[in-house]
Amino acid sequence: MPAWCHRLFLALLATAAVARAADIPALWAERVKCTVAVAYVIENENDRRPTLAYGTVIDRQGTIILPTAAVDQRLAPQQLKDFKVYIPGDPTPYEGTYLGGDVFTGWQYVRVEEKARSRLVPVTAFAAHGANPVPVMTEELWGIGLRPKEEDFLPYILQSHLVLTQLLPERTGVTQQEVAGPGLPVFNHAGDLVGIALSSGGETYMQFSQGARGGEAVILFDLEESSLFQLADDVLPYLKRIPTNVNGRPLAWLGAFSLEPMDRDVANFLKLSPQASGAVVSEVLENSPAEKAGMKARDIIVAINGQPIPHFRPDHVVIDYVEHEIARDRPGDAMSLTVLRGADRLELKATLGEEPKLVREADRTFFDRLGFTAREFVYGDAIARRVKVAEAAGVIVHYVRPNGPTALAGLQTDDWIQEIDGAPAKNYTDALARLFAIANDPQRREFVLLVSRGGDTAILRVKLK
Amino acid sequence: MALGAAPFSAPAAVSRGFTQLLDAVVRIDVQQVAFDQGTRRFEASIGSGVVLSSDGLILTNAHVASPQAVEINVTLSNLERVGARLVGWDHWTDLALLKLDMDEVRRRHLAFAHAEFGDSEKLFPGETVFAVGTPYGLARTVTRGIISNTHRYFEGDLDIDGYETGMFNTWLQTDAAINPGNSGGPLVTEDGRVIGITSRSYLGASNLGFAIPANVAKVVVAGLVRNGSISRSYIGVEPTALQDLEHFYSLALNTGALLSNIDAGSPAARAGVKVGDILLAINGSKVDGRFPEQLPPIQNSIASQPVGATLGLTIKRGPQTMTFAVTTEKLESSVGEEGAFESWGLSVRKVSRAYARENRLPDATGVLVIGVRPGFPADVAGLAAGDVITTVNRQPVTSLDMLKAAHEAFAAKPAPALFEAERDRRVALFILKP
Repeated sequence: MPAWCHRLFLALLATAAVARAADIPALWAERVKCTVAVAYVIENENDRRPTLAYGTVIDRQGTIILPTAAVDQRLAPQQLKDFKVYIPGDPTPYEGTYLGGDVFTGWQYVRVEEKARSRLVPVTAFAAHGANPVPVMTEELWGIGLRPKEEDFLPYILQSHLVLTQLLPERTGVTQQEVAGPGLPVFNHAGDLVGIALSSGGETYMQFSQGARGGEAVILFDLEESSLFQLADDVLPYLKRIPTNVNGRPLAWLGAFSLEPMDRDVANFLKLSPQASGAVVSEVLENSPAEKAGMKARDIIVAINGQPIPHFRPDHVVIDYVEHEIARDRPGDAMSLTVLRGADRLELKATLGEEPKLVREADRTFFDRLGFTAREFVYGDAIARRVKVAEAAGVIVHYVRPNGPTALAGLQTDDWIQEIDGAPAKNYTDALARLFAIANDPQRREFVLLVSRGGDTAILRVKLK
Repeated sequence: MALGAAPFSAPAAVSRGFTQLLDAVVRIDVQQVAFDQGTRRFEASIGSGVVLSSDGLILTNAHVASPQAVEINVTLSNLERVGARLVGWDHWTDLALLKLDMDEVRRRHLAFAHAEFGDSEKLFPGETVFAVGTPYGLARTVTRGIISNTHRYFEGDLDIDGYETGMFNTWLQTDAAINPGNSGGPLVTEDGRVIGITSRSYLGASNLGFAIPANVAKVVVAGLVRNGSISRSYIGVEPTALQDLEHFYSLALNTGALLSNIDAGSPAARAGVKVGDILLAINGSKVDGRFPEQLPPIQNSIASQPVGATLGLTIKRGPQTMTFAVTTEKLESSVGEEGAFESWGLSVRKVSRAYARENRLPDATGVLVIGVRPGFPADVAGLAAGDVITTVNRQPVTSLDMLKAAHEAFAAKPAPALFEAERDRRVALFILKP
């Protein structure tokens, strides 16, 4: 037997051994038990939109994580209704409860009712013993995908190779093709968890010669499968950050508004090291921890708690990094910031505060007869409209029903109602009382609103039927 | 087949005035400098104009001849071409005044006629009018139509290449065919009197043309002859038609105008005038802003006050009537001085006080990027039109001259320059590299 033949024989033997050790179909069948589909409804003034996401079970209490994009962060938690959890391949819906999102990891948390829990296995059961595996370039990885609802979320397997690992700022793996449904786990050959797939990076396909479109090229987005995943080391240690309330509070707040990245040329000009970068603070918000710490607009943050800000590719990841560092902490925590101001390098000591009430947390009321939703004026509204928080009064128009009386009068979403019938709307309660009085008075034929829109004002005369 | 057309008026051809008018209409060729693409470049345009006097004054549109013009040539009715210069322009009314090179006219023994203004307030809808001009370069084109509306009002902000226009006048509307190139030409009655200066039309629409009324033009011409520019007053109020809100504000009909906008930091704002106030009178003269068509004259009555004058505004606020003393400022355009910095491939426009006010910038520091040249340092660094450059090498950009100095230093000894710019309230840094 020639020597080369011998080598080939050995090689074949080796391949066979690996294949036996990793019986992927069996591993897959076991690991499908940590995946679910989550359906819920987004309730708006005028419609109800069914929404679907995939999730991974993280504990024996039936807690499920969904990717950030599974829940639109602009929506108020009370608009999210009727959470149902489906076990792959089974059309039976189980009741789910939305627990809120964690701003640090970005995961959205849902809990499934007791009776489904025995059918599920937490993903932690498939974590490697000891250190989490860090996949290497070209390594073969596989994950789980779920078919659409019409097919009872039948599970299937996806397989690909790792082509790149990037800091975004979390360690993120990129595979050559889609490797799992977004929110679903990714495994290596041995069946150890290597990460959880993120929302699709927007994989696009050009499809030509679609008859229905006259042969024009159409672009298809694959939202059901993803080729991005967050590495287990950046997932597993933080799974316990289960929100205690739907608003995900407490939320740490610095108040450095509109951070901007810098490119390599700017960093070099500022004599930062090749591994370092910075973020420009566009504005320092009124009464914020940043303001109290003495931060000024146009300061450049170059280090947090003594740690120089790393250089990321692409540049804009630095913004996520800074926000991430703040989100990691809790209100009351101290944070030291090194900033460049002109030719000076300054150390600022901030005590993080609690994020002011967010738009999604603001109270709102829909007036059916008037055809619009009034929303409480919150801190962010004052920032957006460049007014002092103390000057904040009135209400914000959250929604205008098309062709309703206020729409016909020219009211638009995001208008700031300052006066109702010629008298100032002092605050939300005052505005509500007066709008209710108008809406509930069947004799009322018209009313007048003074609104501010992009710095201009308009007086709108609303005719009622 | 022939239709027996009844003679509805005397044919224009028989009017001496009309013949003379035709000899007073000129074609205007303008070479002007533009800074919008990161470089200085020249562009050519064609318009029309009308000679107003024997000493060679020509009235045209501000959008035909602006201070950016570097060369103006006028083609007289006898087809002779003569140079001309800009006497002054007023973009607010879209009018500009030129003067023929009279030395050249005398030297070459050229002759031309001049036109007379008519009274645009005496026009009536349906009256026959003629537009004369150079549509699409077709010189000496006469089109006929009628006055469709004597006081056309345009809602919303109009502009000429970014310059504000139209706040202080209404327009004559006509169905005489108006095409690009007609701009600046006269709209005349059958006796050849100029009752308007053709200014705009809806492209693609059928026969919707607009002209600046002669009575507005007469005042502007007099001002431009006297001072080379028109000085107007500004107090920062924007009136809105009351339409049928009189009842809501407990007002008699045809009384007052609703102030729907007060510019932040303007004289009116500083005096305490508020949005929602009803302006009843200016210096004791009653204001009637019931309909939108009545708003430009109100604006004009404020603008016509001497700069620095103190106006007594009678204001109704709720049940009270009060008087505010408001001292006017000079009206400024939001469009500042422009320039191009070719080594950077960057075109900018100075931030004016009006621009800063409109865009809620803290002050008038900085220059607005109006264009970048692809592949040049500004473009490569990431600057884009709409950015406001606030500092260069950490020095605040307070004037175009300051930027010129920095640019000259860059051109003489190329070295990276640090630019700080604001875009949608976001402050970012850019390095312009040689």
